[in-house]
Amino acid sequence: MQTNLADFIKDTPEGIEAESILRKCVHCGFCLATCPTYNLLGDELDSPRGRIYLMKQMLEGAPVTEKTMLHLDRCLTCRACETTCPSGVQYGRLVDIGREIVEQKVERSAIDKLKRAVLKKALPQTGLFKVGLAVGRAVKPLLPDALGKKITAKRDVGVWPAPCHARQMLVLQGCVQPAMAPSINAATARVLDKLGISLIVAPSAGCCGAIPHHLNDVHEAHVFIKRNIDAWWPFVEAGAEAIVVTASGCGTTVAEYGYLLRNDAHYAEKAKRISALYRDVSEIIAKEKNALAKLLAVQNKSKQKLAFHSPCSLQHGLKIKGVVEEILSAAGYELTNVPDGHLCCGSAGTYSLLQSELSQQLLANKVAALESGAPQMIATANIGCLAHIESGLDDSSKLPIRHWIELVDERLT
Amino acid sequence: MNELIKNLCERLASHAASKKPLTIHGGNTKAFYGGAIVGEALDMRAYSGIIEYEPKELVLTVRAGTTLAEIERVMDKENQMLPFEPPHFGEGATAFATIGGTVATGLSGPRRPYTGAVRDFVLGTRIINGRGEDLNFGGRVIKNVAGYDVSRLMTGAMGTLGVLLDCSFKVLPKPAREITLRYEMDEATAIQRMNEWAGRPLPLSATSWCDGVLMVRLSGAESGVKAAQEKLGGENVADKMAHDFWSGLRDHRAGFFSSSEPLWRLSVPSTTPALQLNMPQWMEWGGALRWVRGIAGVNTDITTLRVKVDAVGGHVTLFRNGDKSTGVFHPLQPVLGKIHRNLKTAFDPENILNRGRMDNI
Amino acid sequence: MLVTDTSNFIACLQRIQPPLNILTDVERLKPFETDAFISHRATPLCAVLPETESQVAEILKSCSRERVPVVTRGAGTGISGGAIPHDDGVLVVLTKLNKIANVDALARTATVGPGVRNLAVSDAAKPFRLFYAPDPSSQLICSIGGNVAENSGGVHCLKYGLTTHNVMRARVITSDGDVIEIGSRALDAAGYDLMAVMTGSEGMLGLITEITVKLVAEPEHIETMLAAFPSVTDAANAVGKIIGGGVIPAALEMMDKMVVEACEKVMSAGFPLDAEALLLIELDGVREEVAEQLARVETVLNECHAQEIRVAANAAEREKLWRARKGAFAALATIQPDYYTIDGTIPRRCLPEVLARYAELGREYGMTVANVFHAGDGNLHPCIFYDGTVPGEMERSEELGGKMLEICVEVGGTITGEHGVGIEKLKQMCVQFRPLELSAFHEIKAAFDPSGILNPGKGIPSLKRCSEWGGMHVRAGEIPRSDIPRF
Repeated sequence: MQTNLADFIKDTPEGIEAESILRKCVHCGFCLATCPTYNLLGDELDSPRGRIYLMKQMLEGAPVTEKTMLHLDRCLTCRACETTCPSGVQYGRLVDIGREIVEQKVERSAIDKLKRAVLKKALPQTGLFKVGLAVGRAVKPLLPDALGKKITAKRDVGVWPAPCHARQMLVLQGCVQPAMAPSINAATARVLDKLGISLIVAPSAGCCGAIPHHLNDVHEAHVFIKRNIDAWWPFVEAGAEAIVVTASGCGTTVAEYGYLLRNDAHYAEKAKRISALYRDVSEIIAKEKNALAKLLAVQNKSKQKLAFHSPCSLQHGLKIKGVVEEILSAAGYELTNVPDGHLCCGSAGTYSLLQSELSQQLLANKVAALESGAPQMIATANIGCLAHIESGLDDSSKLPIRHWIELVDERLT
Repeated sequence: MNELIKNLCERLASHAASKKPLTIHGGNTKAFYGGAIVGEALDMRAYSGIIEYEPKELVLTVRAGTTLAEIERVMDKENQMLPFEPPHFGEGATAFATIGGTVATGLSGPRRPYTGAVRDFVLGTRIINGRGEDLNFGGRVIKNVAGYDVSRLMTGAMGTLGVLLDCSFKVLPKPAREITLRYEMDEATAIQRMNEWAGRPLPLSATSWCDGVLMVRLSGAESGVKAAQEKLGGENVADKMAHDFWSGLRDHRAGFFSSSEPLWRLSVPSTTPALQLNMPQWMEWGGALRWVRGIAGVNTDITTLRVKVDAVGGHVTLFRNGDKSTGVFHPLQPVLGKIHRNLKTAFDPENILNRGRMDNI
Repeated sequence: MLVTDTSNFIACLQRIQPPLNILTDVERLKPFETDAFISHRATPLCAVLPETESQVAEILKSCSRERVPVVTRGAGTGISGGAIPHDDGVLVVLTKLNKIANVDALARTATVGPGVRNLAVSDAAKPFRLFYAPDPSSQLICSIGGNVAENSGGVHCLKYGLTTHNVMRARVITSDGDVIEIGSRALDAAGYDLMAVMTGSEGMLGLITEITVKLVAEPEHIETMLAAFPSVTDAANAVGKIIGGGVIPAALEMMDKMVVEACEKVMSAGFPLDAEALLLIELDGVREEVAEQLARVETVLNECHAQEIRVAANAAEREKLWRARKGAFAALATIQPDYYTIDGTIPRRCLPEVLARYAELGREYGMTVANVFHAGDGNLHPCIFYDGTVPGEMERSEELGGKMLEICVEVGGTITGEHGVGIEKLKQMCVQFRPLELSAFHEIKAAFDPSGILNPGKGIPSLKRCSEWGGMHVRAGEIPRSDIPRF
């Protein structure tokens, strides 16, 4: 589409990038088909093409109101549209730019502001989350019920093997995951240990920056990112092979550090390096699949029927498709068919807390799709999806839901 | 031919001026069909001949007065056919069905549910409207969405919207092999079977059920037909007998159709259960077409028949014989009737073309 | 606009029960200003997104009473501008009527709302091993209502027909707000074939609120093959020979080097990059018959100098080939984002000649032309590339496209095979049809829509405009029946 950007943005790095993305869009509408909100609402304005148009107007200097903001807020940023787009439109980047601008141009309501401020502070603070429900209770009147349901039963963490291998990788601890499911990274450490890799943690690293980013607070996101880079840098210099992320949602952010800080004189190079070192845990395991196969060969457990939910961040954001599925099959799980596997579960970072109505509809559809193949358990690859889907499972016949790496870990012990 | 067309246009224009009706005919083999015939005869048989036939293009363009027999003779040589298997009613030494009449009545034969109807294969028409204007619609290519689809509107309009001049069709290669299978079963089972089989990848090309006997024709490559036969079982009918059977049904030469009692054509959704009409019945088109005959000496209650068929989403036509005063074609819902009359007026403002032949508009 | 008081009219719409989703602010109307024919735009008076049939009927009653133009929109994927709003009109968006009412496996029909996506129908039919045959390249998202309005084709219509061959029945709201049913669940209906007239009528005769489509059995066996040729002419010859030889492929598509490169770049389809033209051929049917046809097609391809023939080994490979074909147009956008696609159809035998003339015309205009099209149907889709940032280039591309369409008419073809006239091809309508025929079209419209409120200005040009454009041989005073309303 041809665009004529307004002066306020035209020659800025964001403006240049937005224009090049908009130019690629031919307005064909393919993206509507796989957009979760368009599927639910049947309204062009709640589709990627409609949002692109809303953003285009804003960037062209047209007056913008809370209406544009609402439709941008409703976007899950699942990026299924990017997978569908035949013209290679980087919608995710465009919507980041659009959200930043709408945030500057439109004043949110007081209640909306408060909600967002609370989330921004509460979620990334692992300490706060661990102390737990004090904050949860304090903010509860402001938050949808979903949050309460999301605090899952803590599983036994198990042993984290001492680092003894020459091969070492860093792991992102993150913010929500260590509070809700510390067992995931511990399981990863055990699996990698068996594959001859030691997984180490940089103590001062924390939230990847996705949460402020979701809430359109670019400044705060950059603060988090820089803190992580500073925390990881000594280890990187000491030869850490990779930065492993076990939550694909966080992974998409770490993968973009280089992009996000590209204009930062001090951090651009380091951020680029970090992004280059970033790997989803599935990529690490897939590379070691021969070694893994040998380890698995000694096991002889019966096949279990498993439904795998591929997080949007994994399949659309990181474009990692079929990799986890292959590992799980190799580990002796029988994967059931999950209809509409490309659709988001409705978690989408803070979305489930801010757009609970849409989120709950998507959740109900996702749970039905996951259960349709009569699996014995569900696996996924992102803590956000895990907690969200768990909250939607029927209490009476509750299927267990786990991070897939925990299932691999179990097969090895 | 240009002279002939010019004369036709002038004749129509003068009839429009004097508001005197004309009745269009070709071989007159379907004169029995439709409302009463009024007005001066307009014989189209002189306007005949194949204009263009490119077997490799699978397209045929002919003048309306060309006989089906002539078209089939030419196409036979190329091993091709009119895919809708048009009926040749009442042919004799002098009367031959024409392609114009075929398109005007829109009647298709046993292959219809599996391959398509006349309207599915009409690509273009040249017509003279009721003002005496010579008009071209559609074309000679398979895909064409320029303008409204007037050619398909002409198909089955009983000549009430225009005099057909030239018609273009998509044609198809003849199947290499046809075989017919015979089964004995009751009506309900036959309806079930015909519909089930139509939903499977089988090379069906015709189905018929009458008096407890289901006949199924398969068409295609030798190997494909054989493979389907193995799946379907049934008793193989000898080729000659099968040919006579299907042409007897298509052309209504079979005994069932030769009675002087009224013959009703019931077009219904194919899965419609047995209608329990207590009248002799012959079913074809996978259950979607049910021919029903009156019983000698018993007055058919046409209103009840129409209500019954209406209820299942179909329509009734008094096809042959009987009392036309109660209407030949199924009555139309009022708003639809208004649109029909508007269309008729658009093409033939003075109502000179086949006046009353389509008696439900 | 004809309505005297806009706010009164909007208030009228606001009284409709259950309450209607109405957009009246420019901010939210703009995203509806165009469909996939993005060179033209218009902002409507308002847009409405009804959720029930009765709302649609009420909207039309209000519009006909106030004589407000009505433009209907489905998924907005049309590429002739048929759903571009009217400045003074209401845009009726039917995407919320997106429920599949029923799939009747035994009768092989599906009854759906107009907003249901084309591919969603086949997905719903899949458990019964049935599918909905017409498959335009946009089938992932285009709506069935839009398909009926445009009489959409697709890659498989050579064998399975167009939308008109696969639609049985529709519920339609007339411009007066009356509900009618046309067609039938039976194989024919009483009266004139209104279903045929409605199909492809581009929203000018009525608004469709429910459609019953025909479903067909999934073929027992499918073979998809790819053949690469050293020249476009060789590929074009092969097309004629395959069909002339008595094989009707389920699909027969052609693409030239430029398209192949674009698809390869974006989708890594595995197309050979050293060929000048590719044919994508699909054969389906009973297993034994397909095997027989495959052998025959291979012989023809070799006779026509195919340099490489590849048969898809499995469903995944087949799907990959088709995904690349269906995404071809969007992939071309990565070469140059601005291009103009046309849709002429010609007799197959003219393919080599017409393609050569297109290339010649492209050189004359100094514009690159890429070809990806339904070769089996003779349905051409040349893409003309231009640089939208250069003033006048878009107009020149349209002029070149117009000339290409005139070639189609000249060789006995048509200006549009499946995309519709919309606003894009109004000029060429004056070339294809004479004033008398255009008048007949206007009269058909008036028969359905006496007040002329449905999608005015689309599909059929007024005789006045034709004479202005000079594309039609109208001498002064010769415009027939000047008394009928023209839009």
